[in-house]
Amino acid sequence: MKKKLSFVLNDRKITLEIAAQEVLLEVLRDKLGVKSPKCGCDRGDCGTCTVLMNGKTVRSCIVLAVEADGQRLTTLEGLMKDGQMTPLQQSFLEHNSFQCGFCAPGVILAATELLERNPKPSGDEIKEAISGNLCRCTGYLPIVEAIANVNNALTPPGRERLGKKVRS
Amino acid sequence: MNGLKFVGHEEIRIDGKPKITGAAQFVDDLDFGPGLLYAEIVESPLAHAEIKSIDTAKAEQMPGVVKVVSGKDFPFRFGLYMHDRFVFAQDRVRFVGEQVAAVIARDPVTAKKAAKLVKVRYRELPAILNVEDALKPHPLLIHPDLKSYKHVPWFFPQANSNIAHWRKVRKGDVEAGFKQADLVFEDTYTVPRYAHCAIETHGAVGLFDYSGRLTVWAASQSPFTQRNLFAEALAPLGLSHKDVRVIAPFVGGGFGGKAGVSMEILAAALATAVQGNPVKILWSRAQEFYNTYQRQGLTAKTKIGVKKDGAIVALEQTLHWDAGAYVEYGANVVNAAGLSATGPYRIPNVKIDSCCVYTNLPPGGPYRGFGYSEFLFGLESHINETAKKLGLDPVEFRRRNAIQEGDPLTYGSKMNPNGLIECIDKAARAIEWSKKEQSENPKTVRGKGFACFWKAPAMPPNASSTAFIKFNEDGSLNVLVSAMEIGQGFQTVMAQIAAEVLTVPLSKIRVELPDTDRNPYEWQTVASHITWGTGNAVKRAAEDCREQILELVERALGQKREDLYLESETVRSRSVADFALPLRDFAINGIMMKDGTYRGGPIVGRGMFMPEFSSALSDAETSQGGKPNVHYTVGAAAVEIEIDKETGRVRIPRVALAVDVGKAINPGLVRDQVVGGLVQGIATALYEDMRFDAKGRLLNPNFTDYKIPTAMDVPERVIPILVEVAQPDGPYGARGVGEHTMIPAAPMIANAVENALGIRIKSMPITAEKIALAIKSKR
Amino acid sequence: MPILSEFEYFKPSSVREAVRLLSKHKKPAVLAGGTDLINNLKEEIDQPDAVIDIKGIKELSGITYKNGVLTIGAAVTFSELLDSRVIQSRFPVIAEVAKTVGSVGIRNRATMAGNICSAVACADSGPLLAAYEALILVRGSKGKRKVLAAKWFKGNKRTDIKKAELVTAIEIPLPARRHAGCYVKLGRYSGEDLAQASVLILALPGKQYRVALGAVSPVPVRASKIERLLNGQHLSDELIAKCQALIPGLISPITDIRATKEYRSHMCQVMFARGIRAAASRFSGNGPEYGVNLI
Ligand code: FES
Ligand code: FES
Repeated sequence: MKKKLSFVLNDRKITLEIAAQEVLLEVLRDKLGVKSPKCGCDRGDCGTCTVLMNGKTVRSCIVLAVEADGQRLTTLEGLMKDGQMTPLQQSFLEHNSFQCGFCAPGVILAATELLERNPKPSGDEIKEAISGNLCRCTGYLPIVEAIANVNNALTPPGRERLGKKVRS
Repeated sequence: MNGLKFVGHEEIRIDGKPKITGAAQFVDDLDFGPGLLYAEIVESPLAHAEIKSIDTAKAEQMPGVVKVVSGKDFPFRFGLYMHDRFVFAQDRVRFVGEQVAAVIARDPVTAKKAAKLVKVRYRELPAILNVEDALKPHPLLIHPDLKSYKHVPWFFPQANSNIAHWRKVRKGDVEAGFKQADLVFEDTYTVPRYAHCAIETHGAVGLFDYSGRLTVWAASQSPFTQRNLFAEALAPLGLSHKDVRVIAPFVGGGFGGKAGVSMEILAAALATAVQGNPVKILWSRAQEFYNTYQRQGLTAKTKIGVKKDGAIVALEQTLHWDAGAYVEYGANVVNAAGLSATGPYRIPNVKIDSCCVYTNLPPGGPYRGFGYSEFLFGLESHINETAKKLGLDPVEFRRRNAIQEGDPLTYGSKMNPNGLIECIDKAARAIEWSKKEQSENPKTVRGKGFACFWKAPAMPPNASSTAFIKFNEDGSLNVLVSAMEIGQGFQTVMAQIAAEVLTVPLSKIRVELPDTDRNPYEWQTVASHITWGTGNAVKRAAEDCREQILELVERALGQKREDLYLESETVRSRSVADFALPLRDFAINGIMMKDGTYRGGPIVGRGMFMPEFSSALSDAETSQGGKPNVHYTVGAAAVEIEIDKETGRVRIPRVALAVDVGKAINPGLVRDQVVGGLVQGIATALYEDMRFDAKGRLLNPNFTDYKIPTAMDVPERVIPILVEVAQPDGPYGARGVGEHTMIPAAPMIANAVENALGIRIKSMPITAEKIALAIKSKR
Repeated sequence: MPILSEFEYFKPSSVREAVRLLSKHKKPAVLAGGTDLINNLKEEIDQPDAVIDIKGIKELSGITYKNGVLTIGAAVTFSELLDSRVIQSRFPVIAEVAKTVGSVGIRNRATMAGNICSAVACADSGPLLAAYEALILVRGSKGKRKVLAAKWFKGNKRTDIKKAELVTAIEIPLPARRHAGCYVKLGRYSGEDLAQASVLILALPGKQYRVALGAVSPVPVRASKIERLLNGQHLSDELIAKCQALIPGLISPITDIRATKEYRSHMCQVMFARGIRAAASRFSGNGPEYGVNLI
């Protein structure tokens, strides 16, 4: 049985009909063509499918699409305003805070939620906030570094010892 | 090498923007339109069995099902170094999860439902789940036809056994060496299987169009190798290499797992079964764990002979590898480890037996470190114990035996220039090696651990790289290579090399992802060889462009060739001060002559690199002769840990890793490799571990129970140290570093645990539980 | 992975309607955070004919504190527990438990009611509710009932819930005018993990203590024997050691891929010792901050 639902996705209103058993991640990717949420584990373990629902991160692989009815969703595609990267994205770029980049959409959304609540998080708070987002490449320190630098928050432990020169 | 403008600088990655805006496309992000079909695999529930029958009738009748195929439709074997793997199981299955049949349907739900309707009858055979059973006299043979399998000339399968390859190294006289020694002792170390856990699982889409051309889009480290293997395996269908095309978009992490060919062969084969429609096959996380490659398990018996003064005089290594059901790639891991199992030490008398053993567990294969992580766990643990027995400082003991330029390697040829001693000294200094750390908390104790490492690229001697460089109208350029961006940042490194030669800034360079139709040949993105091999090819292609440019300017404008040079995207002359011709003025359209005719035309450079000095041929009984390895990258790592004596938990206040990279083309990216590699390696040391039940079923094919590190599990300080002793044949002196940063992690931790507690743990992983229970039983 | 089976989806706006839907269907499933349910649907462990989403029911969504009783609605997420002022000030150990559940993206969805309905042996809420002597509020077509936490858990993944009943809230009585507590959880590393063992301790005035153990038996274990030994006594090393010695007799840990029973048992003792000291010192106002990992 199809259900009609509508929600706001990246500031655009969406109305569509889907079956009750459809999973949000699959609807976003396959029906709406929003590809930044990725499927890394399909059971809530890795965080690559992270999207913001009303500003809070959820794992879209374990959310039914019907649950999005009436909600406001944001994916990485919706973070940019007028084609400009957010300061957080800019910081990721400047700190080379990704390697393969597969985890990046989820990590950036998790960090977005964190900075919204806590603009100057400590290194430990950053680590806690992104600990549900698995990254196999970076060893996380460059990610922590990028998040810490967005609002010139406290220097997290490990950062200056990475030995990176400040890039011009 | 001063005056370099791009090489050696910490350039920002050129793949950054797509990756952090979500624009980067991975294979599952590509669109294939409404004709796309989905495949679901019917898998073996048994570790070892004969297939009696496969009944697909019910599945075929299900609406939405397009086709059901099985082994009889694809009676092909394939493999990278040995043809022992099957597209679909034929008369037998050899591990739990092996592909037996596939359902192709219009949508994934139908495919999954129909797959459950395929009925396969088996006759179960006894399963061999460990190396000891596989090596028993008269064992059940997992591959009875082993002797007939095609393989590379440097493999030595043993008839009527489960030994797929046996690498023997005999150098000097090991027995005489032990006689000479003041101290001889041996021990056994074990390493379980591990999983790569790239966060993107494997996926591939195949399309066999009506003209008979096969295109495969794959998350792959090895597009050209895949093309070759697809064409070879499917040759009976009349495919030529030119008709096979592999396109690799961004890859969400590889670590060796996406090298060679594993599940991608299914996309290629299934596509031929549904001509005209693209068919997608995407591995679930569970399949990613049990049906790609796993890092092989190892039981290593290590026997060492040393003089009182600390000189190692003899080493015997018996390495038994649990290589799994198919070893087409894994046997080369065994080979590479066998050739190098002395570690980076000068040892006159050596005996190494590295045996690749079939078992009924999932296929083993390449994983960052390619066998070196595994044997170095035992060897570097053993080196520490030896130092202890001799009353020598373990760092000093390593220093005394460290291999140096010109020393003979196990197979006879000479060691390349290297900065091992410098690495040892710098790593030790970085964690204040000689300072004993006192813990403030009475419940905890601190210790320090050290390990040296080395690794050579394991490549066929003719592994080649090629590059094209194409200029555009505005003087920007596209670099075409078929190396793969798996996160290491090779695109940025290639751009830096091209930029250095052609004086074009990185903002004007694109490095394209592989497409075997468009980009030139590359063997594979493995073996940490891309910076070196592909880097050489790109440098040569850039130099080719430069030659064309300067030659043209001489020819068209009469400038003296030897005075011409490039600077800031402009041709200048040392003799004519005001001569300045921007590249954009002629890179495509040439230079206009007075009469209105043009000279030149589009600048396209070509570069190729093959290590022509390499040879894998050597004596089967001794491995002497030949030069199987092009060079070694060496280094050392040191760690300080704090152990909670009650819980067994390990905290890592600081860890340092020094590696001789020859020349860091982008030091920032090299440091990032150190951080990422160490974290990955430390996880194998502390908690990662694949567990199988008594039926050969993997018990933890998910991140709930195969724990990989989170942001909360990283060391508090990571100190990357880059040493640069140039590699004479590397671009700007560079050699590879991607894998190396993971290799020393496990023995370094084991040695630190021993240092803190006096307890030697000889089996990985060294979990909190193992430590706590060991402390308890020691009391 | 798509969910293969089909079901109807309902989002009732009242408990009455939810209960009606529950009784109307043969195999209904209740959806709150979905962090367990959706996985079970994918793996076909659950194949319901109807999924009843309770997030639209206003009365299930609040945290209230009245007359010494904290009421947590069935749709309240662990993130909301963490952020709740009244919990931070009066029941900080609840926040300490919540912080160990999954990670942010899970806590933003998962609920305590869901946690105790899934009722896996390693559920973090188990020992918490056992120690607080919490009541589970259940509504069925025949009316309401309250179940004491100790009676709620019937076994691994088994609870006292009856067909067509809905958990509406959890009531946690304030055990004393002032109290402190401590939750210690054993995972394989610092990141998100399921408990391999857990210890929850409440410290009450008059040197009274409550002790509960999780993940070392099919249901949470309330260690009354240990409580009797502790109550009214000064916390000496010997006393703690005596209590530790009792632990192996109270639990029935298993060996699985996560941990051996030896280690679970050993760690229960270690965690008990650290937890009781932390709880006691928190009670006196100088213990470690809530939320720090003691192991
Ligand atoms: S794909 Fe959703 S958490 Fe991994
Ligand atoms: S950058 Fe590859 S998983 Fe994070």
